[in-house]
Amino acid sequence: MRRDKFSWTRIPINRRRFLAGAALGAATATLPRIAWSAGDGVVKGRSYADWGQSDPAFSTGVTDEEVHALIYTKLIQYTPGRSWGWQLDSAASIEQTDPTHITFALKPGIGWSNGYGELNAADVKYSFERVIDPDLAAPNKPDWGTLDRVDVTGERSGVIVFKEPFQPVWNITLPYISGNIVSKKAVEEAGGRLGPDAPTVSGPYKVKEHRLKERTTLVRNPDWSGPRTDFDEIQIFPIDDENTAQIAFEAGDIDFTRVSLSSLANLKASPPAGSTVAEYPSLYYVWVGMNLDNPALNDIRVRQAVQYAIDVPAIMEAAYFGAAKPSTGIIAPGLIGHREKELVPPEGNLAKARELLDAAGASGITLTLDVLNKATNVTAAQVIQATCAQADITIDINLRESGDFWSLGDESKGDGWKSMQLILNRFSMTPDPYYATAWFTCEQVGVWNWERFCNAEFDDLHKKALGEVDTAKRAAMYERMQDLMEESGAYRFITHEAAPVIYRDTIAPALRPDGLPLYRFFKKA
Amino acid sequence: MFLYIVKRVGLGAVIIVIAIVLLYGMIHLIPGDPASIILGPRATPELRAALAAKMGLDKPFPVQIATFLVDVARGDLGTDVFSNRPVAEIVFSQLPHTLALIIAAITWAMAIGIPLGCYSALHRNTMIDKITGVISVGCITLPSFLVALYALLVFAVWLKWFPAIGAGRTGDLASQARHLVLPAFAIGLGWVGYIARLVRASMLEVLAENHVRTARAFGLPERVVIFRYVLRLAILPTVTVIGIGIGFLLSAAVFIEVVFARPGIGKLIIDSITTRNYPVVMGAVLASTVLFVVSTTLSDIVNAILDPRIRSSLR
Repeated sequence: MRRDKFSWTRIPINRRRFLAGAALGAATATLPRIAWSAGDGVVKGRSYADWGQSDPAFSTGVTDEEVHALIYTKLIQYTPGRSWGWQLDSAASIEQTDPTHITFALKPGIGWSNGYGELNAADVKYSFERVIDPDLAAPNKPDWGTLDRVDVTGERSGVIVFKEPFQPVWNITLPYISGNIVSKKAVEEAGGRLGPDAPTVSGPYKVKEHRLKERTTLVRNPDWSGPRTDFDEIQIFPIDDENTAQIAFEAGDIDFTRVSLSSLANLKASPPAGSTVAEYPSLYYVWVGMNLDNPALNDIRVRQAVQYAIDVPAIMEAAYFGAAKPSTGIIAPGLIGHREKELVPPEGNLAKARELLDAAGASGITLTLDVLNKATNVTAAQVIQATCAQADITIDINLRESGDFWSLGDESKGDGWKSMQLILNRFSMTPDPYYATAWFTCEQVGVWNWERFCNAEFDDLHKKALGEVDTAKRAAMYERMQDLMEESGAYRFITHEAAPVIYRDTIAPALRPDGLPLYRFFKKA
Repeated sequence: MFLYIVKRVGLGAVIIVIAIVLLYGMIHLIPGDPASIILGPRATPELRAALAAKMGLDKPFPVQIATFLVDVARGDLGTDVFSNRPVAEIVFSQLPHTLALIIAAITWAMAIGIPLGCYSALHRNTMIDKITGVISVGCITLPSFLVALYALLVFAVWLKWFPAIGAGRTGDLASQARHLVLPAFAIGLGWVGYIARLVRASMLEVLAENHVRTARAFGLPERVVIFRYVLRLAILPTVTVIGIGIGFLLSAAVFIEVVFARPGIGKLIIDSITTRNYPVVMGAVLASTVLFVVSTTLSDIVNAILDPRIRSSLR
């Protein structure tokens, strides 16, 4: 057979050409380092998702608020630090004159960009009242609780009037999402709802560019007359995966991010050069719920057996890499109503669990545990399965996709809730205890109260605590509510998780006590 | 040829409509209430009902799908329930990123894979052929997300040659190209091996055919024989596979877009399915279906141009 003589190596190359090419390649390789180095006036942070739109009434949560907090002002805003507190923002003064009235006066000279005039009390009235307007159907309406109206008493002064006392207004309404003030004129021009882009801003920054799912760039608002911020530009990158965010940090692409609990130990032991790792407690609460209306769980002794069979510290080690602590309830440390101690010890008691099961005649019982298909939840479920097995309780784990999971206990979606037994659940939280207890009232049974726990004393305390001005009395009410939940046997409290963050030493981040960034107060180190 | 193209495009349009109906049905069969997921725990039953009505979910399924098809025909893909942005705007903002990624990946895979396959075929059973074979199979077996992670660690974290995340600055082609290097490398590496093996096998088959022997007997230069008579035929299966491969690359792009935090259609679909943002899911799925059908249609047309026998297949 003839041998092929075609040659692929007829490229005219010699030693000099090769060296020239190599030199050019090396020079090119160094270019990116120069091109990427951020200017001193730029800070780059990571958000777990992209923000969606510019209307605070339709804010979907933290990701929207990170941007809204930069482009709008509120009457008051959170103070960065390790304990919860607030400071004045656009308000020159604000005071609760009685349990249902809050008077405020605005600072003069806060302007709306693009010629929308000065921020005034009419804007405040419009911003707050539109959220509770049934016609707007704003999802954030519950933030305003019992708000009745806002009375304008002057160009820059007014009174917020509630139908009934509503204390969470100071913790989660005024300084957070629903406290953002919009321009009445701009919203009305937009047809009653702002779109993706804000036509006017009143905060220290404005959006220069929003590249969907990639990056939002905010630059100084030239019309801002408040305290000068440290950074000329803030870039927020939506990165949902924490490991990707960590790699981006190590590659120098971002300056601040939350990191995963699984990598915390390594990062603390050997942090990347020029960076600092800090741990913050999270407000989330995780628990194992039990369906009180499921026949297998009717007997309180069976439920208590499950409570005692779950070893929470073991879950902390396996699923949270030892970085989170067992919780005592649904209200995190640092918040009003946090319990110092739970009724069932965190490590449980297997002997007592077996004893309770025997007394109930339920030894060898098999129960299902529904779990969202996230690695942390699955590991936690496996630990629960293992420790329950030692108490003669067989646990069958049902992994659920998010859409499926979040409709499990919803009565309006059929009879699926009836077969639900145990569920490993996790709710987000804001810095007011009302936000935690609101989901466990009788009214919420079959909506978000999937344990179907209904207790008259609990409901009564929930209502009273909303209007209690005395912080100590209010705290005692919430502590009692968590006792009632635990005594019902329907809840085994697991953890509030943790929120470790990493940041470059060139910046001094300003964070809320739960580790979320307040970019407006970020400083150069 | 014109008739062939018309028929092929018509077939593509039918495939798109069928795919839309099937996908729409499958997406709506996934358990979970979109209104609850979108609005979250604070939603009242009234708000949920209002959102369901806004998304058209309160209507019977046949009405929903008919409405969607009519809207698509009018160029209206609906509105994103979160941002109130037109879905078409969202999809078209993401599509170029995915297209750039896929084109860059397949281009570099072809640029390396085709010569590698040719070289192996022309040096059959030599040591270089065997080494090339091992490397090619190694490339095929490496999952793209693993390649992506190591590429990130080596080239972004350690060497800092390339950025780790994003798609580059707007209007800065050099920045965008730099941001494309690692994702395209990760997604295309497996295709280098695949194309190399495919081209090698096709080349060996064609090299053994009578017309090649005749061409050589006529004394044609080897370069002419290879390029004009061997590679032209040997490349046909590769063109077809690349056309179909666009669909697989769309799937692989999901991982890559997550790992590199790049915007793109794949990531958009995943995010939207998780949040049951049906209008965006349907818009993005429609775009990827069209992309897939267009790429397979184009590969068929290219095949027909290269091989006249194929043109008669649709007569």
